[in-house]
Amino acid sequence: MLIIGEKLSIIAKRVREAMMKKDKGPIQEIATRQWKEGSGMIDANIGPAEDGGEDLMQWMVTTIQEVVPLPICLDTTNASALEAGLKVHNNEWGRPLINSTSNDPERFPILELAAKYNSQVIGLTVGKGGLPADAEERAGIAAEIMARAMEYGVPLEDIYLDPLVLQIATSQDHAVKVIEAIKMFQEMNDPPMKTVVGLSNISNGCPKHVRPILNKYYFLMLMNAGLTSAIADAHEMAEALNEKKLLDDVLAGKEIDDAAKMKEIKKTLDVIMGNTLYAHSYLEM
Amino acid sequence: MAFTPTKETYAGKVYAVTIGTGDRAVTFGGENVLPFHSFEGTTPNRPLIAFEIQDVPPSDWPENAQKAFEGVSDDPVKWAKYCQDELKARAIALRLVGTHPDRENRSPEDAVKTVKDVLAAVSIPVIILGSNHAEKDTSILVAVAEAAKDRNCIIGKAQEANYKTIAAAAMANNHKLIAMSELDINLSKQLNILITQMGFDKERVITDPMCSALGYGLEYTYSVMERIRLAALTQNDVTMQQPLLGDVGMYVWKVKETTASEADLPQWGSAEERGIAWEAETATALLISGAELLIMRHPKAVAAVEKIIEELI
Amino acid sequence: MALSGVEIFKLLPKTNCKKCGHPTCLAFAMKLAQRQASLDSCPDVSEEAKKILGEASAPPVRPITFGAGDKAVKMGEETVLFRHDKKFVNPCAFAIEVKDTLSEAEVSGLCEQVVSSEIDRVGQKLRIDSIMITNASGDAAKLEAAAKIVAAKAPAVPVIINTENPQAAEAAIKLFADKRPVLYGANASNAEAMAAIAKNNKAILGVVANGLEELSALTEKVKGLGVEDMVIDSGARKAKDIIEHNTLIRRAAVKKNFKPLGYPVINFMQREDSLHEMLLAGVGITKYASIIVLSSIEKWKNLVLFTLRQNIYTDPQVPMQVEQKIYNIGEPKPESPFLITTNFSLTYFIVSGEIENSKVPCRLAVMDCEGLSVLTAWAAGKFTASKIAQFITESGIEKEIATKELILPGYVAILSGSIEDKLPGWKVTVGPREANALPAFLKTRTA
Ligand code: SF4
Repeated sequence: MLIIGEKLSIIAKRVREAMMKKDKGPIQEIATRQWKEGSGMIDANIGPAEDGGEDLMQWMVTTIQEVVPLPICLDTTNASALEAGLKVHNNEWGRPLINSTSNDPERFPILELAAKYNSQVIGLTVGKGGLPADAEERAGIAAEIMARAMEYGVPLEDIYLDPLVLQIATSQDHAVKVIEAIKMFQEMNDPPMKTVVGLSNISNGCPKHVRPILNKYYFLMLMNAGLTSAIADAHEMAEALNEKKLLDDVLAGKEIDDAAKMKEIKKTLDVIMGNTLYAHSYLEM
Repeated sequence: MAFTPTKETYAGKVYAVTIGTGDRAVTFGGENVLPFHSFEGTTPNRPLIAFEIQDVPPSDWPENAQKAFEGVSDDPVKWAKYCQDELKARAIALRLVGTHPDRENRSPEDAVKTVKDVLAAVSIPVIILGSNHAEKDTSILVAVAEAAKDRNCIIGKAQEANYKTIAAAAMANNHKLIAMSELDINLSKQLNILITQMGFDKERVITDPMCSALGYGLEYTYSVMERIRLAALTQNDVTMQQPLLGDVGMYVWKVKETTASEADLPQWGSAEERGIAWEAETATALLISGAELLIMRHPKAVAAVEKIIEELI
Repeated sequence: MALSGVEIFKLLPKTNCKKCGHPTCLAFAMKLAQRQASLDSCPDVSEEAKKILGEASAPPVRPITFGAGDKAVKMGEETVLFRHDKKFVNPCAFAIEVKDTLSEAEVSGLCEQVVSSEIDRVGQKLRIDSIMITNASGDAAKLEAAAKIVAAKAPAVPVIINTENPQAAEAAIKLFADKRPVLYGANASNAEAMAAIAKNNKAILGVVANGLEELSALTEKVKGLGVEDMVIDSGARKAKDIIEHNTLIRRAAVKKNFKPLGYPVINFMQREDSLHEMLLAGVGITKYASIIVLSSIEKWKNLVLFTLRQNIYTDPQVPMQVEQKIYNIGEPKPESPFLITTNFSLTYFIVSGEIENSKVPCRLAVMDCEGLSVLTAWAAGKFTASKIAQFITESGIEKEIATKELILPGYVAILSGSIEDKLPGWKVTVGPREANALPAFLKTRTA
């Protein structure tokens, strides 16, 4: 399981301010922590970055790789910023990963970059306008992306298929559909296709104390389905792995000693699998 | 291949809610099937339609809706009696829209007087609604809930921002309560949980997932209602088994299709029939997706909906 | 049972020759699994695969095209019971009944009403789709005469011929032989003759029985007679029975893949009371009808039915969008506030509703972001500084307002600086994140 450390995102206030001021301190501190906690790659999300995206991405890549011997997941919709980042990426520490191409024609040229710089690339299974309705539609889009990758000369081994995790608080039925999609994606090639998710989106919009619980058990469910990597908080995922046995026991119908834990797992599974309707207070019901 | 019908048996059931007192009390809800699926379960009660009236003259209603209450709508008591006696209403919904700070900004005392007068004039059940101003509603609804004590009314609407005060007032005075959230099934469930966590009996709540008019997001309300019903019945979700409210009139009688004249839009046909049809169709679609209680304005639209209900049950 | 995309893929030639119009066999297999492609598109598929796939990939409700040309109507192909699960695919058709007992002028008049019924609503052209010519007289010659008028006055409109009399049917249907009409109704006693006529004239056969059991037996029989395209009528006429039968038919087709009921449904909704007829038709729209027969088509009624059909058949996955433009809320003056948001319809409804609540007249610029909400649109690169600047510049709004100030949703506060860079002379003010804070925000500004 490859964990791609998620904390360096422009959405986070502290990171955004550091990016604006080109203040290396907070960026390097967060990257280092993610590395120590078990990340195998660091996500650098600079947003759409219309102005000065090239500069910003190069600065991010070099700033991170100055202190952390890991490859970078370059996360932006701005193609020239991606290219700039790829140019300075230190491949000694592993090949970079582009986040992302998709079935939206605006994102096709990203594959050209992947081929040119021998980079790996995430294929987000969404098209233009509208979200995929179910696992089958996601698999259908995945097949299109795979065909296009072959055209552009990107080997299928370099593609990470991303089924797009949606918020459980507003799109609960997709939690299960994403798990199904992860299973389907693997079957679509031999050797199996690699997969990735932006994990914490599952709990986006949920109360603070609920978020880690949802993140952890959802991660474990995806792992059981064969997930190969996740953009996630490495610390949280390490905790999740410690609880894997508990979850597997509950899934197998076994009793576990910690009754409170067992309730928490069962209720969370019910919400993830769509057996009960999600509400912010679901753990209290 | 022989045909065998696939019938569903549902694990859950919608709570039956009774409002009003004496022999004019009315019960709605109580079914253990999807709406009008009487071939696979029981629907003991007919959906209830309440006529909407308000504490101030309906100057903001379009002309075609105003016209139906000409001569009575200048006084809520006359208006209420007209609905009960002439239109044979089974319930009325008194909206205290005049209390809104941007309208007449009427005081809790004014509202109490209106409520007392209306309650004294009619024997059918009354739904008492604030002006949907979250802050003002707390003072208004607390006062009127007390003024209506023991008449077994429905008080509304409690929203996330003000539910504590309003639910407490409804509870203290033995009323039912409308819990409203904005077109989000998960927030709707959450609000029901929060209200019941206060000790409010879950079987005294009516859920309002927020109405939308035909052509203006009706499909959102339609699907939220359908999903709430499925959760109630197939998952036996006790937090989603409350009857559903469609507050139809207020959302319908402001859209272009109910306000524009035939002279302006000849391709849309008769304005009067169009307005009535718009309200009746919005209401019927919501009944089919799960509403048990409707609040409506135009008597002809109400009559048409009653007639189709007759054919559906 | 339905096969998965990968299972289907294993049965395909795996040459990636693209003749099917898809880039790879795998992509084609995925489309087949979603029932969005037909196996016929691959010329090289083996006979054996055809046999296995034919059954498995047939849609639960048979796809049928009714009529020909521009005004043809697609029916069937439905896969779900509830619209929130997945989009309802083919919107039902409305048919107006024209009886052959009417005068020539009356028939022509109805044809004209149908032809001129088309209106435009949120970018879609909506109309009364079809004319049903009913042999109410019992006289074959009268049916043919009425059919001739319809063929002349409404030549492009798909037609249903309604008679149980094979002789009458034959004469009338011939007039529409190359236009994929519906021939209604084959029943237990005339099925052979009607099936033969349908076959000879390439018509879709309307099959009517008393209840679902009889109906299933009858469609099997008709299929045995060589007619594949049918629309079915269980005989239900009351609202309650229509819900029951239509629901059981859809369940049988979708959940059990029960082929004898896997056809589009035709419902007869004609009533004296036009408003009642409209509400009944609404029951049909929401509950699985493919053809709804009406007795009158007043403009107000059409508008209601078209709108309801459009609402119910909206794809729940594609966020509903409003048109990109600058909306006036209240009666804004040159100095009124000017706000911007995205074109996700729910965002628009809520934002414009809150502005209305505030009673402060405003201009609201709604920008096309493929129906995404503000934050999502920004993250997807659709609601960016340069796109916003371009939209504002091209809108020409500058000429209408007194101060060049734009109020930006609080969620994208980050964009304010770069919008100002790209819109020289403009001031960008950051508004609240949530719409419900707008009234207070707007009021303090004007106070
Ligand atoms: S036509 Fe057949 S063989 Fe060719 S790509 Fe399509 S499915 Fe494959």
